[in-house]
Amino acid sequence: MLQLTLLPSGQRLAVAAGTALADLLFAHGVEFPCGGRGACCACRVRIARAAPPPTAADRRAFSEAQLAAGWRLACQHRVLADIELEIGDWTAPVLADATPLAVVPRPDCGIAIDLGTTTIAAQLVDRRCGAVLATRTALNPQARHGADIMSRLDAAARGAAEALRDAVRGELGRLCRELAALAPAPVRLVAVAGNTAMHHLFAGLDPRPLLSPPYRSPHDGERVFRDAELGWDLNGAEVRLLPCLGGFVGGDLTAGLLATALHQREGPALLVDLGTNGELVLGDRQGLLAASTAAGPAFEGAGISIGMRAASGAISAVEACDGGLRCTVLGGGPARGICGSGLVDAVAAALTLGWVLPNGRLAPGRRELPLGDGLALTARDVRQLQLAKGAIAAGIVMLCAQRGIAPSAVERVLLAGAFGNYVRIPSAVRIGLLPFAVERIAAVGNTALRGARLALHDDDAAYTALRARVAHLELHRLPGYEEAFAQAMAFPAS
Amino acid sequence: MPRYQDLYDAVVDGDAKTAKSATERLLQQGVDAGELLSDALIPAMDEVGRRFECNEYFVPELLIAARAMKAAMELIRPKLAATGVQPVATVVIGTVKGDLHDIGKNLVAAMLEGGGFAVHDLGVDVPPERFVGAVQEKKPEILAMSALLTTTMPAMRETIQALIAAGIRDQVKVIVGGAPVTESFARDIGADGYSDTASAAVQLARRLVGK
Repeated sequence: MLQLTLLPSGQRLAVAAGTALADLLFAHGVEFPCGGRGACCACRVRIARAAPPPTAADRRAFSEAQLAAGWRLACQHRVLADIELEIGDWTAPVLADATPLAVVPRPDCGIAIDLGTTTIAAQLVDRRCGAVLATRTALNPQARHGADIMSRLDAAARGAAEALRDAVRGELGRLCRELAALAPAPVRLVAVAGNTAMHHLFAGLDPRPLLSPPYRSPHDGERVFRDAELGWDLNGAEVRLLPCLGGFVGGDLTAGLLATALHQREGPALLVDLGTNGELVLGDRQGLLAASTAAGPAFEGAGISIGMRAASGAISAVEACDGGLRCTVLGGGPARGICGSGLVDAVAAALTLGWVLPNGRLAPGRRELPLGDGLALTARDVRQLQLAKGAIAAGIVMLCAQRGIAPSAVERVLLAGAFGNYVRIPSAVRIGLLPFAVERIAAVGNTALRGARLALHDDDAAYTALRARVAHLELHRLPGYEEAFAQAMAFPAS
Repeated sequence: MPRYQDLYDAVVDGDAKTAKSATERLLQQGVDAGELLSDALIPAMDEVGRRFECNEYFVPELLIAARAMKAAMELIRPKLAATGVQPVATVVIGTVKGDLHDIGKNLVAAMLEGGGFAVHDLGVDVPPERFVGAVQEKKPEILAMSALLTTTMPAMRETIQALIAAGIRDQVKVIVGGAPVTESFARDIGADGYSDTASAAVQLARRLVGK
């Protein structure tokens, strides 16, 4: 056995010679967005002692100086000697939620699960009073097959479907077992909310309808399992996988509707889950419109020259100060890159300083947006943000148009999900990501988890009726989408 | 200084209304349609491409410039056909099977048309057999394919394989593009060229047909 020492924690792992670093590091928060093909360079690690010779992919990803300092792509290497390896020691906490809910009491316990593409959160709920007794979080083990839902579905269609299904079922089963051991009464019901891809991969359904037009699956309704079918041992508990709303608007948004009661409102409100795949639901008790919009990975820091996920060394907040940009770095040390919330802030502040013009160009004579610590955003980075925010904003404008209202008639805008929780709302408004007044917008936290918790108290599964009230729109098929997208790419003048 | 400055400016500035009225006026004055194409539209779209390359223009400016160019072309195209002006070359273009994204493909089509090419746009979600059929029917010098998703990129390879199976691979130059597509992917699937921007696609197409 060889020894792998993780820095800065000093944790030591005994490892069989030849073990892939990817297999070891995933559990420690190192992500492999491209599925380990050496293409995305997100799994950068520094091997402080006994760094193996660099591969061609390493040479593409790093300078000579960085290679000499031990920087490598984790996906490229196996453990062939005792090594010391530096990984980030700060990561964004998984969003949990303990908002009190009004519930009808039941004589047992339940488990609510938010099955996210990247992270998983599970809560033990006392159904006698609705209280959250314990929370467990984990990384989605499928992430080794790609960071985004399309690469996961693609992997499933190419023969990895069983591996993906078993990996996520195994992980959820482990979390449930841990939580059930703490339960004061038997666990009888588990409610799982996930996006359409997670829904299909968990249920083991054919992913192909989601990989080609019109991107609609005939099997995206509620699925009910017994614990034993999933390989779980929960004394016969029932497991409900919440239904999707249509297309890529998934069970996470069904749960979001439950959590926000959007469908019971008197006036129109908008629920937004900002991510690589932005999900939108607009409406009220009269009816609901849903759509998804491919924003790409810029909000997660990918595709940005100095982009990184929200981890130690990431610039997470930027403000205009004394004619320059002042940055806040996660973990407090020197900046290594910028994450999504920092990017939105930086461009918002640069607009205020006049460094970036409303059409997205840098002001004459300006070559980059300096952030300190030798880091800067490029003109191309600003363009990448324009594409991402333009896709979301165009989706919002199109949904409003379909509903026959102006964005100003939307009474409340509710931001769900991790990025929606971290992005600073005034900055999101400044760059035109959310074409609304700041005071109408609020982050609502992990509504997928809160909605799954509500579903635990809904014995009759009344939420399945929500699907019928939602009309799903394919944005790019609507006339005027291209025009809306082009317009939404511009930054507001002030 | 290009001739027909007002038409040139209207296209570069993306002013479709002025582009149309200027074209109408010039044609009424008896200016040759081919001359409008070669001395106003092509230089204007070249300038749009140049501005895009140096980060001055982005997708929105490209879209409105393309719209202005199309407004002018609507009027010029019938005259070109009537006077027998030959295009630089013929291009068949489409977004591959499984992919519905068309903004990037539309921009490339517009830039090529503005560059003097005759463009047959097959639209989105085009299966290999339709590309093959269009190559057989239209006899283009160039086949251009776009894919915006990593999951639809393999359809580019399938299309090239279908061209080989139909025995017409050597009759056409294949160029590919789209956000996830790379130079090495293009080489790997046996394409003749790759471009990462709409304006560079015009240069690539001109180079491949030797013009």
